[in-house]
Amino acid sequence: MAPPAQSQRSPSPSQPSGKGEVSDLKMQLRQLAGSRAPGTDDSKRDLFKKVISYMTVGIDVSSVFSEMVMCSATSDIVLKKMCYLYVGNYAKYNPDLALLTINFLQRDCKDEDPMIRGLALRSLCSLRVPNLVEYLVGPLGAGLKDGNSYVRMVASVGVLKLYHISPSTCLDADFPALLKHLMLNDPDAQVVANCLSALQEIWGLEASSSEEAVREREALISKPIIYFLLNRIKEFSEWAQCTILELVSKYAPPDSNEIFDIMNLLEDRLQHANGAVVLATIKLFLQLTLSMTDVHQQVYERIKAPLLTLVSSGSPEQSYAVLSHLHLLVMRAPMLFASDYKHLYCQYNEPFYVKKLKLEMLTAVANESNTYEIVTELCEYAANVDIPIARESIRAVGKIALQQYDVNAIVDRLLQFLEMEKDYVTAETLVLVKDLLRKYPQWSHDCIAVIGNISSNNVQEPKAKAALIWMLGEYAQDMQDAPYALEGLIDDWEDEISPEVRLHLLTAVMKCFFRRPPETQKALGAALAAGLADMHQDVHDRALFYYRLLQHNVSVANSVVNPIKQAVSVFADTQSSEIKDRIFDEFNSLSVLYQKPSYMFTDKEHQGPEDLGNLSIGAEPADDILPAQRVEANDKDLLLSTTEKEESRAHVNNDSAYNAPAFDNSLSQLSVPQTQGDLVSLGPTYTQQPSSTIDDIFGLGLPVTASAPSPAPPLLKLKTKPVLDPTAFQQKWRQLPVSVSQEGSITPQGVAAMTTPQALLRHMQAHDIHCIASGGKSPNFKFFFFAQKADDPSNFLVECIINSSTCTAQLKIKADDQTATQAFVTLFQSALSNFGMA
Amino acid sequence: MSRLHQNYRFLLYPLYPWLQHPKLLQVDSERSTLLSPRNLQESNPNSFTDPIDMLQCIFLLSDSGEVMLEKQLTGHRVDRSICAWFWEQSISQPDSFKGLPVIASPTHYLFHIVREGITFLACTQVEMPPLMGIEFLCRVADVLSDYLGGLNEDVIKDNFVIVYELLDEMIDNGFPLTTEPNILRDMISPPNIVSKMLSVVTGNTSNVSDTLPGATSSCVPWRTTQLKHSNNDVYVNLIEEIDTIINSDGVLVKCEIFGLVEVNSHLSGIPDLTLSFANPSIMNDVQFHPCVRFRPWESEQILSFVPPDGLFKLMSYRVKKLRNCPIYVKPQLSSDSGTCRVNVMVGIRNDPGKAIDSVVVQFQLPPCVTSANLTANHGTVNILADKTCSWSIGRIPKDKAPQMSGTLVLEEGLEQLQVRPTFQVGFKIMGVALSGLKIGKLDLKNLPTPAHKGFRAQTEAGFYEVRS
Repeated sequence: MAPPAQSQRSPSPSQPSGKGEVSDLKMQLRQLAGSRAPGTDDSKRDLFKKVISYMTVGIDVSSVFSEMVMCSATSDIVLKKMCYLYVGNYAKYNPDLALLTINFLQRDCKDEDPMIRGLALRSLCSLRVPNLVEYLVGPLGAGLKDGNSYVRMVASVGVLKLYHISPSTCLDADFPALLKHLMLNDPDAQVVANCLSALQEIWGLEASSSEEAVREREALISKPIIYFLLNRIKEFSEWAQCTILELVSKYAPPDSNEIFDIMNLLEDRLQHANGAVVLATIKLFLQLTLSMTDVHQQVYERIKAPLLTLVSSGSPEQSYAVLSHLHLLVMRAPMLFASDYKHLYCQYNEPFYVKKLKLEMLTAVANESNTYEIVTELCEYAANVDIPIARESIRAVGKIALQQYDVNAIVDRLLQFLEMEKDYVTAETLVLVKDLLRKYPQWSHDCIAVIGNISSNNVQEPKAKAALIWMLGEYAQDMQDAPYALEGLIDDWEDEISPEVRLHLLTAVMKCFFRRPPETQKALGAALAAGLADMHQDVHDRALFYYRLLQHNVSVANSVVNPIKQAVSVFADTQSSEIKDRIFDEFNSLSVLYQKPSYMFTDKEHQGPEDLGNLSIGAEPADDILPAQRVEANDKDLLLSTTEKEESRAHVNNDSAYNAPAFDNSLSQLSVPQTQGDLVSLGPTYTQQPSSTIDDIFGLGLPVTASAPSPAPPLLKLKTKPVLDPTAFQQKWRQLPVSVSQEGSITPQGVAAMTTPQALLRHMQAHDIHCIASGGKSPNFKFFFFAQKADDPSNFLVECIINSSTCTAQLKIKADDQTATQAFVTLFQSALSNFGMA
Repeated sequence: MSRLHQNYRFLLYPLYPWLQHPKLLQVDSERSTLLSPRNLQESNPNSFTDPIDMLQCIFLLSDSGEVMLEKQLTGHRVDRSICAWFWEQSISQPDSFKGLPVIASPTHYLFHIVREGITFLACTQVEMPPLMGIEFLCRVADVLSDYLGGLNEDVIKDNFVIVYELLDEMIDNGFPLTTEPNILRDMISPPNIVSKMLSVVTGNTSNVSDTLPGATSSCVPWRTTQLKHSNNDVYVNLIEEIDTIINSDGVLVKCEIFGLVEVNSHLSGIPDLTLSFANPSIMNDVQFHPCVRFRPWESEQILSFVPPDGLFKLMSYRVKKLRNCPIYVKPQLSSDSGTCRVNVMVGIRNDPGKAIDSVVVQFQLPPCVTSANLTANHGTVNILADKTCSWSIGRIPKDKAPQMSGTLVLEEGLEQLQVRPTFQVGFKIMGVALSGLKIGKLDLKNLPTPAHKGFRAQTEAGFYEVRS
């Protein structure tokens, strides 16, 4: 070990910083080593204690290794334990010295005291020095057959430790067979449990390479073994019960009778004092009944009480873990928990993350019969001292309101919130009203009455301000002073920091203009002028777009800005149901706490090519040596992250649209994505119209540059021999945002030509696009390409996932120079589609 | 009493199709149905290698973030720099997420619990049942606190060898073994004053007993076989906590009791105990210590068990939907031009029949309050450094209703107090279990000599909140 101590305190007498103390210890230990005088053990113990305490605070005491070993000849068990602890800590990094300890450990393994035998065996197995494994086999074999269960218990775990150091030694000694025998015959439950976990892990890891291991692993989840363990379950320690329940969850009983028998047997586990056992049982119950809808529902009924008891009985940490699982279940079947809403009320002292979970659950379980009480409760939190909770509560009220139809009750609540005159409450309320109106436009009269009195000066938060501005625009005809309120906001354009608010302001003024033209004319002119001069690209572009739209045709502009809207029927759920199902499958795991399926946090692949190292690096990878799990990982990536991909694609569309050269009249198809195409293609018409009239109306003097055509994007030339090393690639990949993410296609000829990934690599290389890493097996291949501009060292990075069975390619492109991305995409796509055509 | 002869199992959940009379599973002789493992690849492509080797390392951190103890559990060594990361994280986190018990570092998933200022931190790299990690840490904390007579930095530093020894027996290769205090006490004797004195006198101390726990192989793993006490006695305590929410309209929104049956047993041999309640049906949900036999509970609602030695939690239960709470707290706040008048009255709502002691009413002064002037006609009012106002009443007097009143001065420019403080109430009632649960009788069998039996009950306020 021995990174320096993390202590922030000044070194106290017990924490020496220098080497003096350590060498002092060394001396004293050496003196004691040979001594047989009475009282030696006591002095040794003091010294050992000192050594261990140095070790504990992080001081490197490995230099006294040989002295410690010399002093280890003793019958004092505490001394032995300290010595074992010390040896276990340093042996791995001092393999030569570790050899010294083998002797005395082996001797202790034959001691007459079973405790010493066990402890010595445990230490021996914990040395973890690969070239000493031969010394382990004998003592382990003896340990497995020892008459004392403590030693057998240690030995069964020891086998697993040996397996991790040297699988071949473990398998050659035929230990798994011994473990299996013990598992089925040992009278001691802990020995059985340890054998089981060791076998599970050994066969699980061997399964990829050995047929026999696959069979053995499957045998562990065979009916006789499962039944054997289940029938004895009460004899096991609570932790071992968890292992067994986990194992049983992998067993699929063939018929419902068997399922019921197992559940009948495990029924009382739901009343165990250990939360881990209860949750493991619940998981099993839920999984077993997945195919029986009615029973599954009854399981929910059954597990409610134990879950709620666990929430209230444990420490805050335990409560949180249980509550996360309850949250998952409540979200899956809210109506089954509708009558338990009171258990979800927040207590004052609970931490934020607990309250947040509870608020989400309260929102979910609200139905016609309990809404009144739940909303009343939530409104109490809105007056809470705790601001984040107050905000969350108002949002929760909003979500409940969106499910309900009782307009009067909700308007009452809104008024109540606004009367509190707290900035954050008002802000959240505004956002809430906006969402309500989007879903129930017919409520506009009541809602507008509520918010009509809010002065925009009192609203500071961008989200709330944007919501207010949206309403001013949307309901301009119902709100007396809408044009003037907007005008006031435009006057403060310069002080408005949030681009989001400025964007909304532009749109709102446009809407207002078409409803009340005379009153808004001046404001619109000012807004467009301010927008055109705005430094923010998006704001600028929107202003320009409106300006040209008005120039082109005012009635078209009206239909663009004020289309006939449909009320939002359902707000997009943030999590797809597929993901929720995945989390449910992983019940009783960390996934539930993170509210993400495990692949999202355990699988690094998902977060980008951070582990390029696993792919074969270089232009000429040999696909036959790629490990099998790569394909699996790729599959997952292809399969699961659809939502995320869509998100990033949408994001990219925005970006590239706004980043496109702003005043470019000859916008080619190439630099504008399809979605924006038909809007912008109005371009050629309006430039022919005299622009002066519209400028006059709004009192605008547009800068000349606005209509000056900019040069067409230059043709992209790539360097023929670019250089980029894999680490630099990885680093860039992490840093750069995705500028384009799209689907391409390869021709069937291309697929045919792709007998090996190399064929594609050579093809792309001909187009000056080079591969840095590739992997996968038919039908899924994954490539990382890069290219460099010929004239400056700016890079393009590409992640390309090809599915040869569907002839599709998914591209993610990142670039140093964003403006050239589109040109590069075209180049890349054409190169890809040429593949196989020659 | 005829209902006692009915099977509780069916009485409780007559509808559940899986409930039958208790029976073991029978493996039928047909070999064809023997092997039916679920196809893992299909059902769950992400299934991990099986969950063992789970916790990789345990750290104990002091309240300043210093690593006091490090216990590596597997071949995969966790560098202690993770503690620095964790500490940094726990300091820099915004308040709202402070103390989230499970977080992900760039390299590991971290579980932690905090007890008496000591942070117990465990690291893993694999997906595992989170409750297993947390529950285990809680047990470690319990056992250490039991062994060392409390938890603090000094006591851990003084006894780190014992802590190492305990951890060694509690977890091996990342998988928890035994956390049962009685078994551990057999293997590693606690550091007590007697043994310390002996060590001074005789110079011969081993804090490890020479024998291995006999219990590890017996069928009552929580108890050693050869126990001898000169005075045989057993005490049963009912300890209840009442959780209450009274909302700003004075409505009793929620009132629930969480109860615990604690047994302190010092009995020789292997005694067999039966405990029955006069009114077991009032309990909504129960959880048992592993020593409790389920069948007698299910059929007759009696607790039949061989107790561990010493103090242990026999059972916990929940009683929901109570109609009454013992005391009332009536806060009134009215603000006018920058000051807020406060008036809080406390009194007995439902006399439990015994004295209500240690009554404390606390509330957090809102941040917009600059100063407070509060006095009470009974007890003392303190305003603590963290702006908590604490009114200690003690025992509620018979002759007058305690009352606290005074004014709060608000921040400049603030007319009204807009946030509403929540009043938290603490109290203790000895001799009564408020849920009404009553112990019927306790039978002791299999005892060499007659033993003394004792019963006690008490109720405390848990989360007892009154909103204003």
